[in-house]
Amino acid sequence: MKFLLSLLLLLAITFASQAQSKLTIRGTVKDTTNIPLDYTSVLLLSPKDSALVAYTLTNKAGEYIFKNVDRQPLLIKATYMGYIPFQKELILPETDDLEVEEIQLTPILQELYEVVVKAAKAPLMMRGDTLEYDASKFKVPPGATLEDLLRKLPGMQIDADGNIVAQGQQVQKVTVDGRRFFGGNTKMATQNLNAESISKLQLFDDKSEQSKLTGVEDGVKEKTLNVELKEEAKKGGFGKISAAGGTDGRWSSNASYNKFDKVNQFSIIGYGNNVNQTGLSWDDLQEFRGSGAFQFGDTGDFGFNGSGGMTIISFSGGDSEDSFEIPFNNLSSGFSNNQAIGVNYNHLKDKKDFSGNYFYSRSDQTVESFNSRTNFLQDNSTFTSTDQSLQNNMAGHHRANVRFQNELDSANTVTINAKGRLSSLNTSLGSLQELIRSASEQSSMERDNQSNRWSGSFQGTAIFRHKFEKSGRNFAASLSNTYSNADQDGIQKSVVDLVNSTDPNTYFRNLDQVNQALNSANTIKSSLLFVEPIKKIFFWETFYNFSQSASETDRRVFDVEASDTRQLNPDLSRFFDNTITYNRVGSSIRYANKGSNLSVGLAASNYNLNGRFSVEKDSEILGTVNKNYLNLTPNLSYWKTMKGNKRLNAGYSMGVAPPNISDLQPYKDISNPLYIREGNPDLQPEVTHSLNAGYNMYDPATFINLYFSLNSTFYQSQVVQNQTIDPETFVTTFKSGNVAGGQRYNSYLGFGFPIVKTKMNAFLTANPSYSRSIALINSAETETNTLSQNVGANLDLTPTEWLSLYAGSSFRLSKTKYVQNPSQNQDILNLSAYTNINIKLPKAFYFDMRFNYNRFENESFGFSQEVPILNAFVYKLLGEAKKWEVRLSAYDIFKQNETISQFAGQNFVSTGRIETLSRYFLLGVTYNMRGVEVKNDR
Amino acid sequence: MRLKHLLTIALILIATGLKAQNIIGEVEYRYKIFYDKIYSSLPHLTEQERDRILLTWGNPDGYSTRMKLQFWPEKSRYTFGEPYEVRSYSWQIEDYFIENNLVDQTYLKYMDQMGKTYLVRDNLNAPKWRVMNEIRDILGHMCMKAVSEDPIKGQKITAWFASDIPVPVGPEELFGLPGLILAYDINDGMLIVEAEKIAFGEPKESITLPKKMKGREVTGSEYQELVKKFIQNSIDSKQAWMWEIRY
Repeated sequence: MKFLLSLLLLLAITFASQAQSKLTIRGTVKDTTNIPLDYTSVLLLSPKDSALVAYTLTNKAGEYIFKNVDRQPLLIKATYMGYIPFQKELILPETDDLEVEEIQLTPILQELYEVVVKAAKAPLMMRGDTLEYDASKFKVPPGATLEDLLRKLPGMQIDADGNIVAQGQQVQKVTVDGRRFFGGNTKMATQNLNAESISKLQLFDDKSEQSKLTGVEDGVKEKTLNVELKEEAKKGGFGKISAAGGTDGRWSSNASYNKFDKVNQFSIIGYGNNVNQTGLSWDDLQEFRGSGAFQFGDTGDFGFNGSGGMTIISFSGGDSEDSFEIPFNNLSSGFSNNQAIGVNYNHLKDKKDFSGNYFYSRSDQTVESFNSRTNFLQDNSTFTSTDQSLQNNMAGHHRANVRFQNELDSANTVTINAKGRLSSLNTSLGSLQELIRSASEQSSMERDNQSNRWSGSFQGTAIFRHKFEKSGRNFAASLSNTYSNADQDGIQKSVVDLVNSTDPNTYFRNLDQVNQALNSANTIKSSLLFVEPIKKIFFWETFYNFSQSASETDRRVFDVEASDTRQLNPDLSRFFDNTITYNRVGSSIRYANKGSNLSVGLAASNYNLNGRFSVEKDSEILGTVNKNYLNLTPNLSYWKTMKGNKRLNAGYSMGVAPPNISDLQPYKDISNPLYIREGNPDLQPEVTHSLNAGYNMYDPATFINLYFSLNSTFYQSQVVQNQTIDPETFVTTFKSGNVAGGQRYNSYLGFGFPIVKTKMNAFLTANPSYSRSIALINSAETETNTLSQNVGANLDLTPTEWLSLYAGSSFRLSKTKYVQNPSQNQDILNLSAYTNINIKLPKAFYFDMRFNYNRFENESFGFSQEVPILNAFVYKLLGEAKKWEVRLSAYDIFKQNETISQFAGQNFVSTGRIETLSRYFLLGVTYNMRGVEVKNDR
Repeated sequence: MRLKHLLTIALILIATGLKAQNIIGEVEYRYKIFYDKIYSSLPHLTEQERDRILLTWGNPDGYSTRMKLQFWPEKSRYTFGEPYEVRSYSWQIEDYFIENNLVDQTYLKYMDQMGKTYLVRDNLNAPKWRVMNEIRDILGHMCMKAVSEDPIKGQKITAWFASDIPVPVGPEELFGLPGLILAYDINDGMLIVEAEKIAFGEPKESITLPKKMKGREVTGSEYQELVKKFIQNSIDSKQAWMWEIRY
């Protein structure tokens, strides 16, 4: 015990004395020719983790000195440009002074330094005697072997027999990842290993096999080359498949697979269901398109906006016939049976991007709807028409997109985009229309229409961008062509019920017709843009836009007479060809500095409209249109980005849109006898002035955010339809005209803030809007004012890992006032609320519930409808990697689903209902290669 | 490492003016950030979301900003350099200045971070560097490898310093090595900062701090605490923090 105690005491003293004593370490650094090296860095490191303890520089005599160094295990390291860094562990002396043995630095083989370190920029690593470098830095042609790579490396030679000679000595063995390769046969390795799969090469003197075996150092060293292979280049593959079946024969399935590496991305996707899903989910679309999912600046329209109608950007997720885009996030009404399949391939290499995809979707939809429309007449009387219909639509769309972008060099980029679509659409419609004039005066008509249509279109765009040597000076040119063609055949039949009607033939007519339509359009567009920087903060932008659109419509209607003979109906048949030519040239000056951007510009635009109308092609010309409009349009915009994530913007633009050619046609179109159209050759373009302003801020530290925007439009000249309703026959005649004084205001206010940081957030919105529209009714200007109030509140609750709750409500009141006819004033109310709950239960069980409530009201009609929809899901993830999911879904538990629409127009109010898929249950299984994702969102 | 060694070096350099052409100069760095890699490394993402981000937003070239460092034996200054391209739209240019005073062993950082402007002053406190056995050439200078860690941001830092430029400074918030840091890398390529140009001698136009420095004044440890809290909040609310804090 005494002994132990004294030992401890001794140790304590030793430690204490060591801790107190400071070392002085000195020495000299020379090169191999004994010349002192000045200006050499000498470092003291801790041997266990290489931590830097102290450092200094040598003086002219190559001497260095460290004073007051704590006594601890030390490693000394010396480094000088062009020499192999030297290091060794110090043996600490008893005294406080350590004279380190002279350090001799060996120069790095010049060729090695020049070729490997300097030219190939490969880091060189010292591991004892071994020098190692990154072989991937040496460029070799594709398919090259290790031998080809070795030939490029300094100090390496391949002799005539294929042997490797390194630094004058023959390499005895080659190992791969430290293991012998085919018994160490060097030729086997060098001629069979692919150079591209190699990441590192190490050359060192290994002990001979003999000495390794016996453990006795025999002094024989074998020159050894070790090859380290690359980890497989990033390769990924993921996919999922799911299938579900349920009550009433409901089913849904989808599958997708993606495979990608650095250069290639391939994906395939497909779905089928009879639960109204007619598009991909947003995530699926993103995965499907891969690097092609987001492409900006592909329209090729340059110059400021406000050209009015010439640059329509539509962003629709629906499966509409006109769209080239793949449908997403789309839920159709009624009852439908849908299928789709698509493939996508992207190739990204060396500034060349290629992406292409093909997507086919089809849908067989049945829609049962009821619409009611009440029209107001001048004498304050009204009449109501109702339409109960059953429609079947069978649509199929083939879509293909190809995009190629090539950065030719740092100055020039070419983007080529081609899109194509081929669609077929078969529609059959059966409907019963009723006209209610008063309780005693009613008439009805049964319709039976069929139509078959196919259409195709193609769009090609090429954009060239050039950056001049002067930074900021840019040039861009674009050319695009859009061609579309549609062919339609149809049958229209109607039978009128004469009961209770005074003069049925004027409103409802018996029809038995066959119609054919052939439409085609071709648009060529081109734009040029040149930007010249002035003193880096001013930019002078000049642009030119050209477009010419030629279209032809050939519609022929035949009356089916007795015994199936067809007679061309000259009132309803029309041949129509037209050309619209648009030219715009403009210029603007932009000031861009320190977050402030102000742009002032002016453009001159010219529209030329040319058209001809006749009954049939080559028959007598009924009328011609030849119009030319020239306008000057100013434009102003201001953007400012401020510190603290604050942004401010304001702008003014003037828009000019030419009238539709059909509104200019100088004759009466009675192709729809209930709605007669009369052209107005004196029509002027629509001219608008738009003002907008906005502000938003976000504080990342407090999570408070605020958005505000105000948009207003003033019509200097608005094209409206002058409606004349015959009080006896109810036939409406439309004639286009220009009016001034229409206004629209739309504002948005959003405010988000945390109630409990990261646990509870609130977001409040208000979206008031006001519009004043002037219409011509029976040639008198009538004014309709609509004030809409829309307020909403949303609450996000994520208190724990296992629970999230989202709730919100919005209230919209739309008050429409008819200035000349206040008795028709309408108040339309929409109220909606939602709650979504996601709960993570034990044992990988999850529960989601989504409740949506909507209420539609219109007091003046006594209309009130509630639509509460409750969906609930229970699912469980199976397997260790959670790749399997079993899910039970219940949709519309209250069986309340309907699609409701309400609208108050200038002289009518309409409501519509569509019978749509209601309560059903599904039980399904999903397999996801990457593990099933649990979605915790609203 | 002891501060006195930094000071010793500074004093040796000032006193001797040793090879003076190497201890005063200006370096231009390319600050190249790879948002796709950073974003796909966020802890709350599922494996499929990571793949989706890399698939759709993958950008092998990263996003580059030019940065500028000026150094003298007694101090260094660091801020934005000239932009690579003159653009006709100007975003807010945030303030980002770092000044290290090697004589007083203090620093001053004036920067817009986390939605606010901060003025941070404190004593220089070098990270724990470990010097590795690897060399690399950057612009003709033989550089040694040194590694360090930032536990608050969860970063693995790999730096390359030129021992023939014996000023213990570097880009961004890095310093304290026996030579100028010419390049560094975070988490194996999420951020790569590399010198593109070195000019020795008194810089033509010296970086000047803004005359009026308005901002919240905090000490280094207070600032670290704010950063720590901000990162924790971002992780809790499943957001990426690198948009608001210099990576």
